[in-house]
Amino acid sequence: MNLKKLTKKNETYLLLIVIVFSIVINTINPVFMTVENIFDLLRSSSGTAILAIGVFVVLLSGGIDVSCTAIAICGQYIAINVLIASGVDNIVMAFLISISVGLALGAVNAVFISIFNLPTLITTLGTSSLFHGLLLEFVGTKAVNVGNIPDSIKAFGKMNILTIARPDGTEYGLSIFFLILVIVVVVTWLILKFTMIGRGIYAIGGNREAAQRTGYNIRKIQFFTYCYAGLLAGVMGVMHLALIRYSNPNYIVGTELNIIAAVVLGGTRISGGTGTLTGTLIGVALITILQKNLVLIGLSSYWQEFFIGMIIVLGVTITYAQNKINARRKLSIDSV
Amino acid sequence: MSEVFLEAKGVSKTFVGVKALDNVDLTIGKGEIHCLIGENGSGKSTLIKIIGGVYKADSGSVLIEGRELHEHGIQAIESIRAGVQIIYQDLSLFPNLTVAENISINQMLETNQQGVNWKTVRSSAKKALEEIGEEIDLDERVENLSVAKKQIIAISRALTQNAKLIIMDEATSAITKEEVDHLFSIILKLKERGISILFVSHKLSEVFEISENITIIRDGKKVGVYPTSELDYEKLVFIMTGRKLEYAPYIYNEEMKEDVPLLSVEGLNKEFQFSDINFTLQKGEILGITGLIGSGRTEIAQAIFGLNKPNSGTIKLKGKTVHISSPEDAISHGIALLPEDRHHQGLFEAQAIGDNIVITVLKKLLAGLNLISPLKKQTEGDNWIKKLSIKTPSGATPVNSLSGGNQQRVVLAKWLATEPEVFILDGPTIGIDIGSKHTIHEIIRDLAEKGMGIIMISDEIQEILDNCNRVLLMSKGRIIKEIEDSRTTTEEELYDIVTRNYEVEAGA
Repeated sequence: MNLKKLTKKNETYLLLIVIVFSIVINTINPVFMTVENIFDLLRSSSGTAILAIGVFVVLLSGGIDVSCTAIAICGQYIAINVLIASGVDNIVMAFLISISVGLALGAVNAVFISIFNLPTLITTLGTSSLFHGLLLEFVGTKAVNVGNIPDSIKAFGKMNILTIARPDGTEYGLSIFFLILVIVVVVTWLILKFTMIGRGIYAIGGNREAAQRTGYNIRKIQFFTYCYAGLLAGVMGVMHLALIRYSNPNYIVGTELNIIAAVVLGGTRISGGTGTLTGTLIGVALITILQKNLVLIGLSSYWQEFFIGMIIVLGVTITYAQNKINARRKLSIDSV
Repeated sequence: MSEVFLEAKGVSKTFVGVKALDNVDLTIGKGEIHCLIGENGSGKSTLIKIIGGVYKADSGSVLIEGRELHEHGIQAIESIRAGVQIIYQDLSLFPNLTVAENISINQMLETNQQGVNWKTVRSSAKKALEEIGEEIDLDERVENLSVAKKQIIAISRALTQNAKLIIMDEATSAITKEEVDHLFSIILKLKERGISILFVSHKLSEVFEISENITIIRDGKKVGVYPTSELDYEKLVFIMTGRKLEYAPYIYNEEMKEDVPLLSVEGLNKEFQFSDINFTLQKGEILGITGLIGSGRTEIAQAIFGLNKPNSGTIKLKGKTVHISSPEDAISHGIALLPEDRHHQGLFEAQAIGDNIVITVLKKLLAGLNLISPLKKQTEGDNWIKKLSIKTPSGATPVNSLSGGNQQRVVLAKWLATEPEVFILDGPTIGIDIGSKHTIHEIIRDLAEKGMGIIMISDEIQEILDNCNRVLLMSKGRIIKEIEDSRTTTEEELYDIVTRNYEVEAGA
């Protein structure tokens, strides 16, 4: 890829912001750029990234999903309760339950959206409350403390795919969470790039009417999209549980706007059809750095929101300015 | 005629009580360029959709190479497999995808594959482009291409599906004259390969240029099929509209001329858009501005109306310099602009006709407590509906239920309500059929005769010559020639100046 193309890409600027931020934080507190801190960041942000990828796929198709966080917490809370009640102490089981819940709830969204053809924002706003409300009413409202969390889940949270020894003999490592993220990224990439259903997601996001005329099965594609987003939310639910070793049915819900912001910041058009996985990952990285590392430079966590807001406004401004410049250039050559 | 490819016999179709097609026949030979012409709402689109298997005909049949189509219920795929490809006016492309994918997408879906082989995608796209001798970057996104290029993509896509008949619906409505010529050269190439073309249009001059035979429909009925060589412009208009339309040149009443012009534009400049624009406009004049798309015409109109801030230059009204930085300023100085894109810039399409008309003059409608008086609103709206004879049962009907010509009258009414002295009309008859076009021209002339200064911007040089007393020719952001009296020139001459200049500059 040549330099000229790079300057046109949103991701390039975003990556620059990430780098500048990292350098600033690192000069104030050199702990930031240590392998240990980076591994820690990867561990704590992998789940968010997976949720964001689900949102990304939905945005590509021209829709929006604000229920992903509600689905994630449903998956998590139902899985932990089933595990405790049944006495089965198995991480695979936890994933199976959470993913099934995610798929089922994603399918509920899909039915409303693809079969009844309802607007996606309103539908998922509604189902988000619906899912969460049902969870609190029928499954419970009590948080599950670390003492009650099954061992297999705690062990999973500590599992590393790479271990490095500290000088004092203790160890740290790269969490298995990162491996899961890599798998999700690769699978999503393969689906989007090399399957007809993946190209269909781009097609219906770009021009729905044309997709219909061309012969795409729009219902099928939408069904797949919302189920896939639900599945990823299910995966995230268990990862979040293993990360914090605590389950509160009111967690995760409420962070959906941050996740959508990360995806849009990564260059995905909110109107659909355009966006990249790379951009999404960089968007998540930026939001994560802001959320987790302001403390490192001595700022209170209240500044988080301020900085996230600032970055979103700045990011959108850059995109907007770029489009405007491009449009002006075009006008001089060919006004249509 | 050679071998017959498609034959539609006695096709009728009724939509909720309205007869859209009544016993229509259409015959297209192999490798023939056939034209289907008729005013908006005459049933052209319905007929195309029946051929394409989108609608089901109430009666009649469609035969392709002698075999009846859609015998067992309608299916678009059946028409496609028989070799019929329809290129709709909106082209049905995916702006966010690359050229290669846009061209190959139908073929991929047709073969019912699950995976995507990018090598095949590229090679079949390349092959389709080569077939019509075109070269376009396969990796470019379609949204970055001009309309003309997009059209080529749509044609190439049709070719990947073994098209034997390509139906082009209003293919020339958004491209420049030069691009039309290029499109026609492609159509001729397709003909050489034995592909039939059905060219659907309401632009008469183009129909004469390209077609071999013309089928004319009016109000859902076929009124005739003629070899193009047997028709001339007047005869075709007569058959199409059922009446004779004549234009006398607009003659400017010199008595209205004043020492200080109504509007004068001096040294107007805007980077990348236009430069050194000087002209004046007198009361009662219709000043035409024409040039190829991209020549800067629309941008100048927007600059005068406060929508496009120029870098330098002055605008004077009756000799006084005015500063216009917003449409509000422009309106208060008595300037109105009828925009190029009626649907997006001119109207609130889902709203009532009356509401659309009064939107510019809400202040005049205020009554006690500074609230809008429903009575005044109603009177103002109805008044204009009557004055411009807008065909509607009532002012409460939404604008999108009107025909193009009537919609444009609503836009006219909305601006006339502000009582402008300078009225800029950017493409006043785009997408309006020939009968309504004429009445809109009459309204415009009438306004000028009563003393309004009018600037008419149009692509159609003939329209400009028919209606304007003075003409400015533009190219690449500059005024390249002023014709003082439009009676002293011809369409060919002006077209020649505009394109020659374009080529010289483009070549340099």
